[in-house]
Amino acid sequence: MASIQNKEQYRTPRTGGRLPPGLGLLLPTLLPLGLLVMAMILPGFMFESDQTASTIGLGPAAWPEAILMAMAVFCVLWIARDVWALGAAGRRPTLSFPVEDDHYHFGKALIGLLLIIAYGWSLPVFGFAVTTTIFIMIWCLFGGLRNVLVLIPVTVIGTIGLMWLFMGLALMPLPRGYGVFDNFSIWLLRATGIY
Amino acid sequence: MAALELLGGGFLAAFQFWAFMTIVTGLLVGVVAGALPGISFVNAMAMALPFTYVMEPTQSMLFLGGIYVGGVFGGSISAILINVPGTPASLPATWDGYPMTKRGEAKRALTIAVTASAVGGLVSALVLTFLSAPFASFALKFSQPEFFAATLLGLVSVIAIAKDQPVITMVSLLLGIAIGTVGVDPLYGQARFSFGVPEMESGIRFVVVMIGLFAIGEVIDLLATDRDLRPKKTGGKAIGAKFRDILNVKGAIARGTGIGCLIGMIPGAGATPGAVIAYGIEKQVSKRGSEFGTGVEEGLAAPEAAKNATTGAAMVPLLTLGIPGSAATAIMLAAMMLHGVSPGPLLFIMDPTMVYTIFAAMIIANILMIFAGIGVAQLFSTLMRTPPAILAAFIIVLSVVGAFGVRNNIFDVYVCLAFGVLGWGMKRVGFPSAPLVLGVILGPLAERYFLTSMANFKQDWTVFFTRPISATILGFALIFILWSLAPGLKRALRRQE
Repeated sequence: MASIQNKEQYRTPRTGGRLPPGLGLLLPTLLPLGLLVMAMILPGFMFESDQTASTIGLGPAAWPEAILMAMAVFCVLWIARDVWALGAAGRRPTLSFPVEDDHYHFGKALIGLLLIIAYGWSLPVFGFAVTTTIFIMIWCLFGGLRNVLVLIPVTVIGTIGLMWLFMGLALMPLPRGYGVFDNFSIWLLRATGIY
Repeated sequence: MAALELLGGGFLAAFQFWAFMTIVTGLLVGVVAGALPGISFVNAMAMALPFTYVMEPTQSMLFLGGIYVGGVFGGSISAILINVPGTPASLPATWDGYPMTKRGEAKRALTIAVTASAVGGLVSALVLTFLSAPFASFALKFSQPEFFAATLLGLVSVIAIAKDQPVITMVSLLLGIAIGTVGVDPLYGQARFSFGVPEMESGIRFVVVMIGLFAIGEVIDLLATDRDLRPKKTGGKAIGAKFRDILNVKGAIARGTGIGCLIGMIPGAGATPGAVIAYGIEKQVSKRGSEFGTGVEEGLAAPEAAKNATTGAAMVPLLTLGIPGSAATAIMLAAMMLHGVSPGPLLFIMDPTMVYTIFAAMIIANILMIFAGIGVAQLFSTLMRTPPAILAAFIIVLSVVGAFGVRNNIFDVYVCLAFGVLGWGMKRVGFPSAPLVLGVILGPLAERYFLTSMANFKQDWTVFFTRPISATILGFALIFILWSLAPGLKRALRRQE
């Protein structure tokens, strides 16, 4: 929140892997345009093609349409402000990349995002126990933790602790995985006294 | 005088060994559940409901009351320490509490938060004890248009959060409200924006959005900047709060408490609008208003006091009218009904001992919360000493489990991850995420109250302006917008000159 309030914060991001020149300006400027297009076309996709909106009273479409219309109006104001700002010398677009206290490693951030997405995707396939153990281990290694004497206990005890907390205490049916992974999960849950 | 005598009797009953232990247990369960993202204290109360079958009616209320009081504060622990609000009402704690953690002042932030929460909760419990009856008659005058107006006031208060960027703040808020419209609509039962995905018909839950936007984006930044969240030490001691720090925010605590008590009594409003409005007003009132969002103590204390001040206040309509003002009080109502107790004016005549024991328990719970809060916060604070890589890995796992736990559905995990990527992108371009989250939380409520108002009053939209209480609240909303925008407009005019 504070980052957008400080006008001094605008700059080309200082990163471990820099963004291409101009992209720092272009991305924040394109955002309102994208949101405007979204606000304009989304009402057409509100209902399934075989459905028609109820016509009793205001109907189910009234509120979302009003909200999207209001959003479109504010996007136009935003674009107008940015067009005016970019036209006037010394002005900046409304949004800007925030200054980081330290170097920002975009490459590391993107790999991190991919790891998190892979974790979420593989959770139902391999089950909570296996996926979480592998994820914590890879993340810690990627984060710079190399001490095996710390890494293995943290991974194993951490995963079992979380299983006990969520599956044992909170009775949450976390995914057990498919096939052999399901059998392994059941064995582990029995071995740890959760089942 | 009679009230004081009854309260004395209530204290005696609440200080019986088992009653006292029930309050303490509930409080600890609430603080821990509130602090864990995804397991909200409302979920904890729902899970605890079956345990109350074996309890006496009064004991069951003490247990649930303890969870309620502890849980409302507990959400701020994770908000302050890892930027993940454990409950929606803890959202403002991320704005000024987390920046304090980034400065190595986690202990100080937690002490200020727990003190403000305890004061807010304590005053609220006293309000519940002594002012229940007059406020009950006021609450009876509230209907759908008033609920809509109150929700709208909560929504517009977001303008104060980023007054220098009102247009972008509005876009973010409206985007959040639009996301909140996904799924079956509240009045007509038709699915919107489901795009043929059956899971989308159930809507997008705000907890999932909140976890994705805040937790994942933050963890990625933690990784990409090699930031260290470990508490900084000065002269061998971690930076903690001094008594003077608490005295410095006494005005913020008082204002937050007042706002929380007032908003808490409005059925349906609850802790989230209370905390956000308190933050917005404090930003306007405080001399350091322009610094809000960078770790200002007042910005943390006011919403903390406000959200706990809603706990006792929300029980006023429950106990006096039988109207639950929030999800938490609805569970308490269910517990009372299960035991054959009907809340309402007759309860004060038929079983005053029970009523005043609950009042006493709320007072005791808020005092004990200081110790329970500091204890649990200390535990969480110790966790902050772990290497950032380990901390980040567990935050991700907790977030994913939290998203899954909302409906025990893997689809919510995918939604959470999508919002995680979106949240990271928003952070990178400086697009504010807090208004979006507020829109997702309050948008569906606003829609429901708006549509039911229109249906109840023959589609006459003037009803919001012709009913005195609704018109007054809308007037406050307008004043609030103008008040928030005034400094920015003045600056713009000065620049033009």
